[in-house]
Formats: sequence, structure tokens, C-alpha cells
Amino acid sequence: MDLINNLKEVFEIEGKIKNDFQIEVEAKKELVSSILLYLKNQHGFIHLNHMSCVDWIEDEIFELVYIVWNPNIRKTVMLHTKIDRNNPEMENIDTIWDQANTYEREFREMFGIEFPGLVAEREFILEGWTEMPPMRRDFDTKKYAEETFATRPGRENAEDVRETIVKRTGEEIPDFAKKYSRD
Amino acid sequence: MTREKETTLYLGPQHPGITGNMMIKLKVRGDIVVSAETHLGYLHRAFEKLIERRNWLQSFTILCRFCVPEPDPIELSYALAVEKLEGRVVPERAKYIRTIVSELARIQSFLLWYGGQSGSGGLYTLGQWSVGDRNYILDLFEDLTGARIYHMFMWPGGVRRDLPEGWMDKAYKTMDYLEKRLDDYNKLLFDNAIFQKRSQGVGIIPKDKALEWGVVGPPLRGTGIKHDVRIDEPYAAYDKIDFEVPTYEGGDVWARSLVRRDEIVQSISIIRQALDNLPGGSYYNRIPNPMKWTVPAGNAWAKTESVRGEIGFYLVSDGSNKPRRAHLRGAAYAHGISVLEKVLPGENIADVSFILNSLGVCPPEIER
Repeated sequence: MDLINNLKEVFEIEGKIKNDFQIEVEAKKELVSSILLYLKNQHGFIHLNHMSCVDWIEDEIFELVYIVWNPNIRKTVMLHTKIDRNNPEMENIDTIWDQANTYEREFREMFGIEFPGLVAEREFILEGWTEMPPMRRDFDTKKYAEETFATRPGRENAEDVRETIVKRTGEEIPDFAKKYSRD
Repeated sequence: MTREKETTLYLGPQHPGITGNMMIKLKVRGDIVVSAETHLGYLHRAFEKLIERRNWLQSFTILCRFCVPEPDPIELSYALAVEKLEGRVVPERAKYIRTIVSELARIQSFLLWYGGQSGSGGLYTLGQWSVGDRNYILDLFEDLTGARIYHMFMWPGGVRRDLPEGWMDKAYKTMDYLEKRLDDYNKLLFDNAIFQKRSQGVGIIPKDKALEWGVVGPPLRGTGIKHDVRIDEPYAAYDKIDFEVPTYEGGDVWARSLVRRDEIVQSISIIRQALDNLPGGSYYNRIPNPMKWTVPAGNAWAKTESVRGEIGFYLVSDGSNKPRRAHLRGAAYAHGISVLEKVLPGENIADVSFILNSLGVCPPEIER
């Protein structure tokens, strides 16, 4: 609780104790890099555990989460912030932690969030991707798969595979295959 | 005197020295690495997107496939995250069984690592032994869960089934056998002058930078920093079991290998203690009908200690019957990209694969 009170004195945040090991903090996006630097330099949260992004399409926001850990007191701070989904832009923090570069490249590719100043000449995972960022909620994975990939012959529908084989080959179903749990 | 020009080498994605499928673009001058760039994209299976389309229990068929060498910690991280969201209590017996399964997974993954680490240094015998011995643990898994590699065994509320009859005796015998075999491994690998020469002073991670770089697991403990999720934020039954967390100074491949060697000994001890003290009672706090099971809205961050290091799962629920967001933080996420790109410059090409194995890089877990 001391940490939350201290953060409230310095920044405009909302905070609560989540459990014995975790503290949850929420702040505006403009304050995130300052809070992270403050936690790292003043309070020993030197380990960037994780960064995540959640698409709240119904509220038209992306929620970014920064999870940092203090090895001396063994506590975690989860810092949440919201950015506008229609104009997603967030401050680049890879000057604070190098591995943030990887996370930000992934968010740029998967969610379409821009991080001005992020140096990333190469793609992270999706080479030659021309569709919308695929981790967004409005990207339809099933539709993309149906439109992009050809279906293997004989598996166009949920027909029993034994019947499919019989139709294709003209053979009879062998005795051992006649007994099936779905029958 | 000729000037060496800079050449670009592409190590991977199909290369026996790469732990999985990824490509490292190396710029070399002579046989010294000048710079390294990790290129991924060969193993992205969009698992996190697929999990958003499945209900909370259906996700288990996907979870174990995130990381091929050691699937169990990911199942356990997800289960712990769901239990945090719900406030679901896990029976004591289930916690002990989870501990046993986690440690068996750790040992079998270490045995696989033995093969990779020694093989990348040119010693192929040890891999034959360790992969053969690993089969005894996979046999235990097959008896317990029905499958050798992907178990889908630890799920929210406990574990899927109780220990079958005779399993405990078989587990004790397997631990006795493996303990004897460790002497052979030590003689072949750790007493081997070539391995010592090749691993000492190679692939150094500085102690003062390790945590800032995001290093976790044996590479972190190989710099002398004692951090293990099992003691920092105990889960399952680890708070009731006596074990040590070995650390070694140096931050090189040698220190990391020694940490792993000592951890197998600790894992065998943990399994024996858990078997000796296994409580009775239920193994499962039953979940509702999975097709209608909803989890309260909120978020959870749950960590477990895998063989490569800390595995974290960030799970978000919107109150429906499907996860809103399931985001895995694999131990290798930093190791395989930002740490590797810092450690490789200045090293010999022959040591690239050696260092990669010592960091425990697992591309399936980076790309998901």
C-alpha cells in the first residue's frame, strides 16, 4: 500500500493490491513511461516481466499492460493504460528496457499500434502480411482460412470419414471400422 | 596480410544446431560474429487467437502445444490464472500431484537439453543416453495421463485423474534409476576437458545486466542471482517441500550447465518428498459444464518455473465462456531475441549453437 500511496503522491494514478505478490495500477498513457522509469530507478522494479495488449473493440480502446518485477521485495506491479483504438499510438519504451522492442514490434504487427521512434526494419513474425492486424477482434480467422487455403478433397463438410472414403474409392468399410463411438 | 571482409551467414531455419525453427542472420568477420539478428515466423500457429474462439476448457488442447519440449508448465500457468480469476480452491492432493508432474516434466526436458547442449559441442553419445532415459519418464506420463508428450492433465480445479495403481512404485524406481545415471552423465560431460574448455568464458551474461535484460531461469541463476518462481511466489505444493535453488557465478555456458545439472538432483528429491507426503482426498474441484462455464470478468497474471525459466500467463476474462485474451510470456521470449543478439557478438561461429542451447531458446514458445 505504501508503494501505491507513493505513486499517488507523484502521479495521477488509481491503484489497488491485487494479492500478496501483485499490485495493480492504472494511469493515462502519457504517464506510462514516467511511471515505469520511476518504478525502475526509485523503487527497484528493474525486471520487465511482460507487456500485453487487449482489444476492447466494443469500447473502441486497446488496453496495454506493463508487468514489472522487483527482485529484492519479490513484488509485481501491473500497470494498465488505455489508448484510442481508432488512432492507436503509444510511447516507445525500448530505451528503458531493450526487450520492449520485441513486444512493441509484435503489437505493431498484430494490433496495428504505432510506437513513434521504434526502430524495427524487419517484420517480427508475419512476413508479407497484407491483411488487417490479425489479433484484432474484427479479424475473422475462420473466414481468412476459408478464403486463403484450399480444402483437402473429401473434407468439405462434417460427413463421416468412412462414407467419404467409400465414395472416393468404391471400397467397402472393413469390419473393424464399422464400430464407431458416434454410432 | 589479407583483410577479412564481413560475410552474412544464415543459421537456420533448418539447422541441427538450432533449437527449433528460427533463423539467426549472422554477420561474421573471419569466424567471429560481428552481429546477430533473430528472424522468426516459421512456427507461428496463431494459438492465442485460436484460444479466443474456444471455451475455457477447449483451450487445453492448444496450451500444451505452445512449447514442445516442456508442455506442462504452460498448462499449469493457465490453470493457475483461471483459478485466480475464479477464486477456485485446488485440493491438497491435486497440488502435490501437480508438483510431481511439473518436476517430471522438468527432468525430461533437462535430459533433452543434455542431448542438445552436448550435441552442439560435438559430443553425440550423451544425447543417445539421455533421450533413452527420458523414455522412462515418458512411460510414467503415459500411465498417468494417457499421452507421452502432450498431457492436458493439469486443468483448473486440480488434475484430470488420480494416480493409477502401481504408479508410485514405478515412479520411485524411475527416480532411483535416473539418480544412478547422473554419475555417468557427469563423467561424460562435466568431467570432459573439451566441454569445460568450450563452455567456460563463453556466452557471458553480465550479472549486473541480467535482470534488466529480462533473463530468467538457469541463465539467470548461472550469473549468481537466486530467483526461482517456486520459492518467490510458491504455487502447487512447493511451499511444503524442502529444496535448494542452485546458483553459480560466471554467467557463462559452464555456469548455466552446472545449474541445470544440480537442478535435476533437486527435482528427483522434490518428487520423492511429494510422493512420500502425498495426502489423501480429492484430486479435482470439479468445474461446471464446460460448454456453459463462465469465468468472472477480470485479469490474472500467473507464473510457473519451467526448465527454461519463468513462464507467465496473462489471462483476461470478460465474463463470458471464452477467454478474452490469453497471452503467454515464454521464458525464451527475451532469451531468443534481445539477449541472444547481445551475447553473440564477439563469439566464434562454432559457439553460436552452443550458446543458443545454453540459453534454452524455444522458438515455438516465442512465436506461439
